[in-house]
Amino acid sequence: MKVFDNLARLSLALLCMLACACTQQQSSISHQHEIVFATAQAPLNLDPRYATDAASERVNRLIYQSLVDFDSQSKPAASLASWVQVNPTEYRFTLNQPRALFHNQTPLKAGDVKATYDSFATLKDSPHTAEFANVKSIKVLNDDTLIFQLKQADGHFPAKLIIGILPADLIARHQDFSHQPLGSGPLKFVTWQNKLTLQRVKDGQKFSLLEVKDPTVRVLKLLHGEVDLLQGELPPELVKHLQSKPDINVKTSIGANFSYLGLNMQDPVLKNLKVRQAIAHAIDRNAIISKVMVTNTRVASAILPPEHYTNSTNLPLYNYNPLLAKQLLIAAGVKLPLKLVYKTSTDAQRVRFATIMQAQMQPAGIDLEIRSLDWGTFFADVKQGNFQLYGLTWVGIKTPEIYQKAFASNSIPPNGFNRGRYTDATLDTLLAHENWQAITIRIHQQLPYIPLWYEGQFAAMRKGINNYSPKPDGNWDDLATISNYAH
Amino acid sequence: MNIFKRIASFCTVIFGVLILTFLLIHLVPGDPVEVMLGESASTADRVQLREDLGLNQPLIRQFGNYLSKLSAADFGQSIHTKTPIIELIKSRYPATLKLAFLSLIIGLSIGIPLGIYAALKAGKWQDLIVTLVSVRLSAMPAFWLGPMLMLIFAVWLGWLPVSGMESNTSIVLPALTLGFGLSAILTRMTRTSLLEVLNDDYIRTARAKGLTEPNVIIRHALRAALLPIITIVGLQMGSLLAGTVITETIFSWDGIGRLLVESIEKRDYPVTQACVLVVALSYVLVNLFTDILYRFADPRVKFAS
Repeated sequence: MKVFDNLARLSLALLCMLACACTQQQSSISHQHEIVFATAQAPLNLDPRYATDAASERVNRLIYQSLVDFDSQSKPAASLASWVQVNPTEYRFTLNQPRALFHNQTPLKAGDVKATYDSFATLKDSPHTAEFANVKSIKVLNDDTLIFQLKQADGHFPAKLIIGILPADLIARHQDFSHQPLGSGPLKFVTWQNKLTLQRVKDGQKFSLLEVKDPTVRVLKLLHGEVDLLQGELPPELVKHLQSKPDINVKTSIGANFSYLGLNMQDPVLKNLKVRQAIAHAIDRNAIISKVMVTNTRVASAILPPEHYTNSTNLPLYNYNPLLAKQLLIAAGVKLPLKLVYKTSTDAQRVRFATIMQAQMQPAGIDLEIRSLDWGTFFADVKQGNFQLYGLTWVGIKTPEIYQKAFASNSIPPNGFNRGRYTDATLDTLLAHENWQAITIRIHQQLPYIPLWYEGQFAAMRKGINNYSPKPDGNWDDLATISNYAH
Repeated sequence: MNIFKRIASFCTVIFGVLILTFLLIHLVPGDPVEVMLGESASTADRVQLREDLGLNQPLIRQFGNYLSKLSAADFGQSIHTKTPIIELIKSRYPATLKLAFLSLIIGLSIGIPLGIYAALKAGKWQDLIVTLVSVRLSAMPAFWLGPMLMLIFAVWLGWLPVSGMESNTSIVLPALTLGFGLSAILTRMTRTSLLEVLNDDYIRTARAKGLTEPNVIIRHALRAALLPIITIVGLQMGSLLAGTVITETIFSWDGIGRLLVESIEKRDYPVTQACVLVVALSYVLVNLFTDILYRFADPRVKFAS
């Protein structure tokens, strides 16, 4: 029997043995000056002609440079090149001097720009191809100058030239930029296996981008020192926890990504303006922001934030007033309680918002049923108009053309993002004249979206990490300047 | 002859899985062309791409094309990353295999000895403690146990990395998370199974013949009690090889389960199809292996039965 006693003891000791075998682990967790950045979602595609997800676009901004970027007011600004509008259908771009260099040390020329944009004609499966369908031809005048000729006049054309420029010779050789990117940005590609490794061109500083889906695990990794930096996508209680840690530095900034409730305007109840106003008055945004959101979150009234160059009007806010909401519903002839179905993704924070809104709407006579669906099903339902209410966020929107794409009568899917099937002749006229101020006011009055908030941005980093701040649109541009004094 | 029957049934199951996956993927909401081109593409571009991908053809022809590509080991490429799917499987499946085998070893080395010990001490306080621990362990979900192990062994003690695959010791915590769950089931199963045979006549005879107690237990009792344990191990191994999504996600372990879930979320249909096929193959192979093990454990068992 002694044998079995010993066996049992041996089994119970296994855990200790496994752990003890790893006591040297602690000393091996050092990144040899590499800055490790944990993200909730890894980039999917490093070819800027294909990338659409936020993580890929943020990384591609660092690997490549584009002709145009945006200033703090989101106005198109020169990046690789400055431009002049020769006539309504012609733009001349001149590359800045000194010429940018690709990471293989070849200079970036006008021919590379032409090759990049010409390649869209052959990429039938690129989500960006439609953006450049209006380009008639691209003429290279010399190594520094080129002309874009358009089929139709487009005053916003320069704002579309934000695709990273690729080397013409590698395009011709069908280089797989998705996995072997080569650009002229501040960071160059090193490897991409379990993690993406990049290196800063100017000083050789290496970065690892590590996908860690679970927010709690991201925080534990930061606390343990396996990760140096993380940004966004944490529930506020974890941010507060990090703020209380002496080894961690948390920086916050205002956000520019617009969260909203989308409404199905073909729904017999929701097409009534009074009902939409009632819903707007039935949500206590300030309470949600103060209790369950990170600092610097702002109440929103339009897709584009107040600092955007098109926003010169202070729009009134729809304050929380359940009594008024109930009166509006009664005036609309709705039988109370009004039953509505709200669709959202399975993201824990989204479900939390939905649950709070459900409780807030009850005193207004709105009985909100929450349906939390996996992302693919949820987004497919939204695009197909299979919803009454849904919650989403517009990320990284810079140009006022979003109003055309999201609300014009001719932008109903599959021709645009007018997922609520909103049709408004007055708005269509305003959109045709690009009267942004009047457009913003009209949308705010008609409420095809119920505006919620611009979520604040934050980054948490270990002490010793410097020169990194979160940006309103959540980009990672400061990786170009970040420094690590800890090592 | 029996082995041919098994192989035929193996092929039937795989073919059935292929048909079901193909049909299910075409029934769920979402469209690969939408996923690839986004919402701003023109109708003409959509029609063109649909034609290029063969999605405008009748389902039966699409299935035929899929099978013919599959016969050449061509799974296609990911819609999002443009990576050949065979490369994705090659990079992810070994990680799942590694994690599954280590978890199994942990589960077996804790579960079986503890089960034997509990059976031998049946009704005593030692049995009660083992039962209590195993019930507690089996009631702990991976999404709770995983972070707890991280907190204790990584953050507080600093012995192991929190998650990831960078270090050789990264596998320990996910393997323990899975192994503990498995060991709890095996402890209960071994105890019950062994108790059933310990009072049998042949055990009494073996003892009467003067065999030592370890000999009686290991050579006689345990061998007879092994069949239900093999069944459980086979089923659990099948699940482990199918990828344990929660554990892989929590520990950032790039295995097949995580790849499958991500592909479903992103509507990356070709990847989903390939993953389901690999998972089905794993299950069927493990079942086949379990059947073979039955024969070794008990020669009276034949394939035909």
